[in-house]
Amino acid sequence: MSAPISIPRVSLSWLLVAQVLVIIPHLAHLPVWIIALWLGCAGWRIQIFRMRARYPNAWAKAGLMLGAAVGVFVSRGSLVGLDAGVVLLIAAFILKMLEMHTRRDALVLIFLGFFAVVTAYLFDDSIQLALFSLLPVTTLLAALIGLQQSGLAMRPWPTARLAAGLLVQALPLMLLLFVFFPRLGPLWSLPAPHSKGVTGLSDSMAPADIAELSRSTALAFRASFEGAVPPRDQLYWRALTLERFDGRRWSQASAAQLPLAPAWEKRGEPLRYSIVMQPSSQRWLFGLDVAETTLDQARQMNDFRLQRQQPVERSLLYQVTSWPQALREPAGTATGLRRALQLPATGDPRSRVWAAELKRRYPQPEELVQALLGHFNREPYGYTLRPPQVGVNSIDDFLFETRNGFCAHYAGAMTFVLRAAGIPARVVAGYQGGEYNPSGNYLQVRQFDAHAWVEYWQAGRGWVSVDPTFQVAPERIEQGLEEALADEQSFLESSPFSPLRYRQLGWLNQLRLSWDSLNYGWQRWVLGYQGAQQLETLQRWFGRIDARWIALSLVGGGGLLLSLLALWLFKPWQRERDLQRRLFQRFEQLLARHAVRRAPGEGARAYAERAMQALPEQAQAIRAFAAAYEAQQYAGGDASVVDLRMHLRALRRALPWRFTTGRRE
Amino acid sequence: MRTKLEACQSAVNQVLLGKESQVRLALTCLLARGHLLIEDLPGMGKTTLSHALAKVLGLSFQRIQFTSDLLPGDILGTSVFDKDSGQFVFHPGPIFAELVLADEINRATPKSQSALLEAMEEGQVTIEGATRPLPEPFFVIATQNPVSQGGTFTLPESQLDRFLMRLSLGYPAKAAEKALLLGDSRRSLLPRLEPIFNHSELASIQAEVPKIRASDALIDYVLRLVEATRSQPQFAWGLSPRASLALLAAARAWALLAERDYVIPEDVQAVLPSVVGHRLRERADPSGHGGGALVQWLLREVPAL
Repeated sequence: MSAPISIPRVSLSWLLVAQVLVIIPHLAHLPVWIIALWLGCAGWRIQIFRMRARYPNAWAKAGLMLGAAVGVFVSRGSLVGLDAGVVLLIAAFILKMLEMHTRRDALVLIFLGFFAVVTAYLFDDSIQLALFSLLPVTTLLAALIGLQQSGLAMRPWPTARLAAGLLVQALPLMLLLFVFFPRLGPLWSLPAPHSKGVTGLSDSMAPADIAELSRSTALAFRASFEGAVPPRDQLYWRALTLERFDGRRWSQASAAQLPLAPAWEKRGEPLRYSIVMQPSSQRWLFGLDVAETTLDQARQMNDFRLQRQQPVERSLLYQVTSWPQALREPAGTATGLRRALQLPATGDPRSRVWAAELKRRYPQPEELVQALLGHFNREPYGYTLRPPQVGVNSIDDFLFETRNGFCAHYAGAMTFVLRAAGIPARVVAGYQGGEYNPSGNYLQVRQFDAHAWVEYWQAGRGWVSVDPTFQVAPERIEQGLEEALADEQSFLESSPFSPLRYRQLGWLNQLRLSWDSLNYGWQRWVLGYQGAQQLETLQRWFGRIDARWIALSLVGGGGLLLSLLALWLFKPWQRERDLQRRLFQRFEQLLARHAVRRAPGEGARAYAERAMQALPEQAQAIRAFAAAYEAQQYAGGDASVVDLRMHLRALRRALPWRFTTGRRE
Repeated sequence: MRTKLEACQSAVNQVLLGKESQVRLALTCLLARGHLLIEDLPGMGKTTLSHALAKVLGLSFQRIQFTSDLLPGDILGTSVFDKDSGQFVFHPGPIFAELVLADEINRATPKSQSALLEAMEEGQVTIEGATRPLPEPFFVIATQNPVSQGGTFTLPESQLDRFLMRLSLGYPAKAAEKALLLGDSRRSLLPRLEPIFNHSELASIQAEVPKIRASDALIDYVLRLVEATRSQPQFAWGLSPRASLALLAAARAWALLAERDYVIPEDVQAVLPSVVGHRLRERADPSGHGGGALVQWLLREVPAL
């Protein structure tokens, strides 16, 4: 018990290694000064270890702590919240390492380290990080082992081996918990750490926004079909509709949030597929027309988009069934149609005149639409991500002057003309196409697949989708953005190292697709293994069970296990004697503080007599306790520990208070 | 009754000066119905102790001086032809006394030794086909001289095991020896001792010994002691169950003398050296007398609680 309280060398080395490994995943979102603080403190710590420097004194510690807190406040604007909290935690982890003096400090540091490893998952839940975090966990365990086992105190590798062994042994338990442990909803909602930075569609669209998106290779979602994947030109993933036009931007109508279910008729064969969506910080989900989902808290809105109650802040898996040939609102609703005819009071006069002329020439909406599409096809319109500047009358300028643009220009212009011609129409924003991954049999849709198209309404036929971009640049629809921009060389020009630019290199592309497939599996089967999916899996294994059954059996099984463990540990059948023994041990500890220690072979009476000689003033209390103990242990007195407790308390009161424990000599 | 035990001890202590603990152990041995082996140099008061004990306890006393030509008949007795009655008449030997002092037991041949030891164990003797009970109580104090081993027959371990205790009196302390030299001759003091107990009283107090409470916790301690002798490498062999029974019986008697009706570990520790000392041998020296060091190890290392 009188082992030195200092930290063994191996443990310290492992802790230093672990610190590096714990902080690495956080580097991306830590302010720079934290890294400087870290390097400084680690250097100081090493100098302390080499006996070239001293431990920081109280003032230095207080200054560092205050400095770190102020730094967090300045760089994050707050001391609470997820982002600031993590920075604060890392700062504490760094500073504690410097201040670490005793074993207890080292234990605190190790547990802080485990916690910091877990917080990294808040920022990144990829498979790489999950695998990487095994490293810091192993080193932290090695440090813990080095701290506890004096036999291994000087040998670093056995501790690491033992730590890795422990981790491997924990695997079955981990799998068991992963499969069976119920996923509880969060008790409080955490704002996602970096919701500002997510790229994706927003609820209003100016043409420049889509151009911005098309520069991003970030993943939007992945989709796995049951059965064959439909051809590319049918993959119009709807996100939302934009119905309000202010002469410059298209935006979502406020009425789109009204909880009105649209009227539609299922027709034709449905498509079934599942989607794993990346965090978007928006509430809408993606689906092919007309989509229905089984996801809780998600519903079909009146413009046929799917929307969830909460924004999607982390990866989300949902199942969708789509009827591509469905008839959508054949009767229409007065307010809905009125919204679909809204135009700004003034502006774009040439387009309005042209629309009136078209209307005169083609009284049927269908004919008019065909004429319009034919116009785009015939006339020298071009597809480019670098459109020329347009003036105040943006539609006029585009239709009659520049004639160059991309999907957002075409969709906006066509909707404008249709409305001006009295045909209800709206812009649909979403994604088009996607890259098929043969190794995982799924589609991956990236931000540069963002697209806008048009749907117009016709009595009896309901809403019909048309894509003017297809008339201008069919390769955009049939082969993707890269082909559409082949002449221009503007595809991903700002990210020269993106592997997506080198798709023509076979092996590289193969590697990229396999890696993506692995990530998709991780997201679908590991991260996506939540509530409903877990229940489904368990039902497949155990037949019809519900959440309550799982909860009950888990609680029951856990309770049984714990009570067996408790029985084994506490052995209630010899409890009374154990309690007496424990009280006697406390009696010994109490006297040991006054330098009266019991030899192993010393009986209670002999010990008490010795203690009485050493502490004559407390002789009364010592004798009383020893006599009570003896009577209960040996004389078969009524085995009640209450007396013993009482005598012990009396003794404690009688003894002068002393802080030193019996351990230190 | 208990005060009488005190009186016994103080009476013996007046004769045998400065040997309180040995007197107490000897009395313990007697109360536990065990036999006593005293191992010491000549002239240390072995005979005086036996005599004094016999006196105060009101026991008949016989002394057998063991020599190499001693025959079993000299101990047990023989039948002699009485020509008046024309029959063989049994003349009981010195063993038919309540307290027998077997002086220098290792001087006799094994045959004669075993005659005594069998009597000690069985509480009866069988001579010429007739079984004769020994008196009750029956208590043997044997003495051995540890030096001048020439022409002796060392008691084998199996015989040693029959003695509940082995004591050694040792030299008296200086003050005690001074009082010894100043006072009357010990032998002249002995006749003046009055018996304090009669037979029935002694029997009843001996019957009380097994009733002394030995709790579970205490038995565990005894078991730990015995287990240690069986498992630790320095012991040539472990204690037998007879030894653990002996240890418990002696501890009970010791507790009785301490006027307690339950045994505590200190009682066991008090009797441990004399009860197990002669039963233990060091592995390094199985024929020697390492018992003392081993007992000290037991006292020191085996957890008492």
